[in-house]
Amino acid sequence: MRKLSITAVCVLQAIAGGFQYGFDIIDQTGLPSGTVYPALGRLERDGLVKSAWESEHDAHADGRPARRYYKLTAPGVKALSESAAFYRSLLPAGKPRTARG
Amino acid sequence: MTMLRWCDWVLRAVAPLVPHDIRRDWLREWRAEFAYAAARAARLNRPMPLTSSTRALGAIAHAAWLRWDRWRIEMIWQDIKHSLRGLLRKPGFTATVVLTLAIGIGGNAAIFGAVNAVLLRPLPFANPDQLVRIYKTNLAQPNQIGGTVSPPDFVDYRRDNTSFTDVAAYAESAYPLIGDGPAEQIPGAQITGGFFAVMATAPALGRTITDDDDRPGARDVVVLSHALWTRRFGGDLGIVGRQLQINGLSREVVGVMPASFQFPLQSELWMPIKFNARDLETQRGAHYINVIARLKPEASLEAARQDMRRVAARLAAEYPRTNREASAAVHPLREALVGSVRRSMFVLLGAVGLVLLIVCVNIASLVLIRAVGRGRELAVRAAIGAGRATLFRGVLIESALLGVAGGALGLVLAYWATGAIAALDPSVGVPMINQTRLDTTVIAFTLLVSVAAAVVFGTMPAWQATSITDVVSRIREEGGSTTSDPKKQRMRSFLIVAETTLAVVLLVGAGLLGRSFARLLAVDLGFESASIQTFRVTLSDSKYAQPLQRQEFFDTLMARIAANPGVESVGGNNGLPLTRFSYGISTSSVDGRTLSDEEQDALTLQIRLVTPDYFKTMGIAIPRGRAFLPTDRTGAAPVVIVNATAAKRVWKDVDPLGHELRIGTRLGLGGEAAGGAVVGVAADVREFGPGVPAPPTLYLAYAQWPISYLTVVAKSRGDAASLIEPVRATLRDLDPDVPMYAVRSMEQLVSNAIAQPRLYLLLIASFAGTAMLLAAIGLYGVLAFAVGQRTREIGIRLALGAKRGEVLRMVMTQAGRLAVTGVAIGLGAAALASRALRSQLFEIAPTDTFTYVMVGVGLLIVALVASWIPARRASRIDPLAALRHD
Repeated sequence: MRKLSITAVCVLQAIAGGFQYGFDIIDQTGLPSGTVYPALGRLERDGLVKSAWESEHDAHADGRPARRYYKLTAPGVKALSESAAFYRSLLPAGKPRTARG
Repeated sequence: MTMLRWCDWVLRAVAPLVPHDIRRDWLREWRAEFAYAAARAARLNRPMPLTSSTRALGAIAHAAWLRWDRWRIEMIWQDIKHSLRGLLRKPGFTATVVLTLAIGIGGNAAIFGAVNAVLLRPLPFANPDQLVRIYKTNLAQPNQIGGTVSPPDFVDYRRDNTSFTDVAAYAESAYPLIGDGPAEQIPGAQITGGFFAVMATAPALGRTITDDDDRPGARDVVVLSHALWTRRFGGDLGIVGRQLQINGLSREVVGVMPASFQFPLQSELWMPIKFNARDLETQRGAHYINVIARLKPEASLEAARQDMRRVAARLAAEYPRTNREASAAVHPLREALVGSVRRSMFVLLGAVGLVLLIVCVNIASLVLIRAVGRGRELAVRAAIGAGRATLFRGVLIESALLGVAGGALGLVLAYWATGAIAALDPSVGVPMINQTRLDTTVIAFTLLVSVAAAVVFGTMPAWQATSITDVVSRIREEGGSTTSDPKKQRMRSFLIVAETTLAVVLLVGAGLLGRSFARLLAVDLGFESASIQTFRVTLSDSKYAQPLQRQEFFDTLMARIAANPGVESVGGNNGLPLTRFSYGISTSSVDGRTLSDEEQDALTLQIRLVTPDYFKTMGIAIPRGRAFLPTDRTGAAPVVIVNATAAKRVWKDVDPLGHELRIGTRLGLGGEAAGGAVVGVAADVREFGPGVPAPPTLYLAYAQWPISYLTVVAKSRGDAASLIEPVRATLRDLDPDVPMYAVRSMEQLVSNAIAQPRLYLLLIASFAGTAMLLAAIGLYGVLAFAVGQRTREIGIRLALGAKRGEVLRMVMTQAGRLAVTGVAIGLGAAALASRALRSQLFEIAPTDTFTYVMVGVGLLIVALVASWIPARRASRIDPLAALRHD
């Protein structure tokens, strides 16, 4: 497994948590836009996320252009859980156990 | 400006960075996000948050990343594949560029490797910058490099100076080592106690020699080199404390030096030199030791020089008889070791640099031609949307590929060439040349050179070729133009002229060296070298203490060697010509009259102690009088033979036969000063090399002055080398403890004597040859291309009635004009540059007209030959085909 960077894990986690649009991911992760967008580009290039455009109809109803949204692919889901587990294992031993227990 | 508009402005400004195919989506995504942020703010009746402006800046990072990501992928795959395919499609072009580059880079790396070893790499001693040599010099040339010191002067230098932490002396020689295997003559040095303190090198085993060891009466000790220790004693760790028989004395081994310690160069053992009180009293005029010293950390070289001049001036006042004209010079050790070759090394580096410059020019013109040839492809790609950056990147990658290939092949050439250079014997006169290695410095230098050469000279013309502004004109031009762009034509012409100029400079250098070398070879050395084998024999002072014992030993040896059926004749001499053997002693009296100090100094003679058949064996003519006879021995009247130069110097035009001459020494044998009545005049022998006039020489009969060593010369009826084994057996029978060493044929000695100029000539000539070839290739390439470009024009000319001869002449004239310009500038430049060669030239002026004319004419002929093929092709163009030509 190729280990994902903390940034990538944060972005994937945000998307998995339902924050699918660029600025929403930025708001959610607190990372700067100059970090989040290249991270999204890398994740998409590596096939961990997929992007699509929201329906023009919905957007126009809102009086704005359609936004691009991102969602996890199957490899993305797997990579996120593996990487998250790895980073969690680095935390002080007590916490996860209590959480599990 | 509202926040939204500002954000949009940033996006539009950055958008061109984003790869073309995703640019629209990128803009759309970012605009949508800002619009959404604005809409949400409007819904809440708030202004757009300030964070939006910083988010817009993030778009710059995003765009840059997308561009980089795309380049990365494209560069690795697309461009490399594309470039490789393009290069393989033009194997002639690719091979020419790669080979050209490899020659330039390989040559540069190899020569730089040698320069690095000889001049640049720090000497392998602690703080090598503090190490100096001190020379006793003459007031006329107080700063010369070279000049041995006498023991009393050394002691005074050491005591009176204020600039050095320590001063030490050494004398190089070779000493017989017996026991533990066959008798062997080991090169080594006798050193004073401070030697290893000055060199500041610790032993690998045991201890070094110290001040306690060089006192008269101290135990006899020896320190071995790492090489001798491993070769002869198998790296025996118990070596320290063992007794060895060296130079007839039993000496205790006290230490072994590390492998990196080599000083004096080639020394394999070090023993203390002991000066007793009498030596220090009587030897002030005996100059035979070399002095080294270590500067105090705070002392400057200039201060040390003044200090030593002061010491020398005091000695001159105190001992006017020996030191009246003397001064002292201080030179960095590196300078002392390699000062004599510094200039020629840099000339070589300059020459090989010129070759590289020609290589670069050649590549520039080849790439230019190719880029122009690809003009249509590039133009079409530009027309369908490839930016200039993309096109340029393609050319850049192509250049880098060529550079890498050329650099790799060049490194292979350099590896081979440095091996060849390192195999050279430093005795050709370039110290430390055998240390030449392809080390990291050399490889880094090569990489730098190859990348710089390829990128600069490959892309400069490419930048011009990918200029988008003339896309339209380019497409049109390719379709229907009749002549090529004059601006580019000028650039190509300039490159050709530059190349010719550089080639002329190198060829003139090679021509001068070649003519100088031919004159060197034509010099009459005064002796014959064919079929003569030589070797040296030294008798130990303890076993052969009496002169008569030595005389008897060599008499027997000569007789036994002469009895060998393969031997035509055999003789002996204390020092052979061309071996840098110098044994000069001043004349003390002529025809019974004692000379004044000035006269004595002015009349220093080279002393040679020879056996009767030496002259016959060496083929040295005796135009007047006779050679020595077997009866000229101890007890008989002392006789001498002078060479023609000495005869003229001493007796002017008077016939010297019967006159008498004495030198100022007893040759360490007691009795009266050496000399005698002149019985013969020998032809001059160039003792110090073909380029140095014969010194005035005095031959003494060995049997009258039997010293402890002789070099035997034996003339073979067949091959010189066929004598080595029989003679070795003869010597072993006579005394197994006497080693035979310095085994060389006279032809080897002659060859060694001209090795340095030959090497120099060989290198410069190969550079010049390469340069000429490259210039010819360049000229051919440019003309062939120009003819190809002008096919249509020439076709029209022919169709309108131009004669084929006129077309031929037209193309040849174009080539001729470029070549003549290049040759003219080149000859002028050569007249300036060849001054650097002056010290290397023998009986040839740097402005030798013959050389310049030959080079000029020769290069013009080469240029005409190179342009003949394209010119002929031009004259054979079929007008109909040409007019249909695309």
